[in-house]
Amino acid sequence: MSLFSFLGTLEIGLIYGLVAIGVYLTFRILDFPDLTVDGSFTLGAAVTATLIVMGVNVFLATLAGTIAAACAGLVTAWLNLRFDILHLLASILTMTALYTINLRVMGKPNVALIMEPTILTPFEGMFGLPDMYMRVIFVAVCAIAGGLLVAWFLRTQYGLAMRAVGSNKRMAQANGIVVKQKVYAGLALSNGLVGLAGALFAQTNGFADSTMGIGTIVVGLAAVIIGQSLFASRSMYVIVLSCIVGSVLYRLAVSMALNADFLGFSASDLNLITAVLVALALIFPKLRNEWKAKQAARKEA
Amino acid sequence: MISCKELHVTFNRGLPTEKLALRGIDLTIPQGEFVTVIGSNGAGKSTLLNTIAGDINSTKGQILFGDRDVTKLPATGRTADIARVFQDPLAGTCGDLTVEENMALAYGRGQRGRLSSALNSKMRKVFREQLSRLNLGLENRLESEMGLLSGGQRQSVSLLMSALQPSTILLLDEHTAALDPKTAALIMDITSQIIAEKQLTVMMVTHSMRQALDHGSRTIMLHEGKIIFDLAGEKRAGYEVKDLLNLFAQAKSDGEELDDDKLLLGA
Repeated sequence: MSLFSFLGTLEIGLIYGLVAIGVYLTFRILDFPDLTVDGSFTLGAAVTATLIVMGVNVFLATLAGTIAAACAGLVTAWLNLRFDILHLLASILTMTALYTINLRVMGKPNVALIMEPTILTPFEGMFGLPDMYMRVIFVAVCAIAGGLLVAWFLRTQYGLAMRAVGSNKRMAQANGIVVKQKVYAGLALSNGLVGLAGALFAQTNGFADSTMGIGTIVVGLAAVIIGQSLFASRSMYVIVLSCIVGSVLYRLAVSMALNADFLGFSASDLNLITAVLVALALIFPKLRNEWKAKQAARKEA
Repeated sequence: MISCKELHVTFNRGLPTEKLALRGIDLTIPQGEFVTVIGSNGAGKSTLLNTIAGDINSTKGQILFGDRDVTKLPATGRTADIARVFQDPLAGTCGDLTVEENMALAYGRGQRGRLSSALNSKMRKVFREQLSRLNLGLENRLESEMGLLSGGQRQSVSLLMSALQPSTILLLDEHTAALDPKTAALIMDITSQIIAEKQLTVMMVTHSMRQALDHGSRTIMLHEGKIIFDLAGEKRAGYEVKDLLNLFAQAKSDGEELDDDKLLLGA
């Protein structure tokens, strides 16, 4: 793998680290499997790209993309909480609707940002660093800052209440926690992070495309699972940052599999590689525990 | 003080599966009184407790705490007044969170979720003090995951959690039923201590007639959603389990046989 493609992989891995944190919030913290992210990733990108082309300030455009995606999360939460639609199904409905909405936002299947200013423009040439390093540093700062903020949030009273809602609704309610409010907040935060990732992706890669969000949920889940199977910890900081590490490792593994000539994979084999990687990450902790149990039994004998 | 006036609860109203769970409960519990609630399965004991707590909406009637009407208030709006311990030891705590995180949740009961740190050293000191009352060594396991504790330990922590914040009402829903006799006795002991310390108004649902007579100062029995007798004072002091059983048989208007195994075994 060349340095250039390594840095590119790192950059995408870090951006999807934000997706992983969002997925961690819904799947693990709230116990609310949310597939909205496939749509909200694209929504974040579409809104941001469209606004930038219209000449809006890049930071405002990114903020708008993030808020739009957060609203998509609110819609899913509303369908589930107000009308008792199964969480999975509610999120699939929102995701499906978003596909059309994204096309409407952009007015066409994709928007190019090659000639436009992006959120990276103000940092170009800073410290005399070549562009490709600067981009990686920029997205790393974004991902880690996002991760630290989320970890801090989960350790506050409000965050702890949100974790209680995901763990035991009845207990949460008996302790005065308004369950619905926490679910709304959690889904908005999660999808907001995913939308921010979409906005950053569009600006670093120079386009927004109506199909760019397909499979976002699987990538996010893969990152969460890989991260957590490698770092077993109770610390919120370690857990949240391990989502980012998991995302980067996932991208590196995919990139290596695609680049290894002796394996003979082509870019179209991406989904199979993803599935195998996720399966391995799920199998690994179980095999490790079985092996440890065997070792312990042997010692006793 | 808790007052229920003409309290009715109907489940699945208007559907073929309609069930009248409570049919006109009139009950006034003065501040500081400890009432035990007995009755066979399906009599409405838990429904009554859950309605007072706000988990279930009443179909008709009124609930007052003191002179404040709380009938329309959701469960979360009543938590400043009410502390609860559930029958299922797993229900009162979060298995995924640590002991101290669980206690922090109870410590913040009735307050708005704020963006300040959920735990601090002052809280930890309080938690450690409280846990040491149990003599279970839990004061050294603040950072253990709740799911790693035994059912009895979890129930003990739930009980302590219910007393972390000042409240006036304590609702106990068969909170010792799922425990072994020794742990149940320990839990009942600590319950009595907490109630005495905090001068709480208590409702305790139990399946054991012995427990119902041994604790508190008043006993009510529910049957088919109504209070069929209400026993207090000297009259209650002279009562034995067999007297309760007789009373139960008499009070049942249709005179059907007492066939509830649990009720008899619990005696």
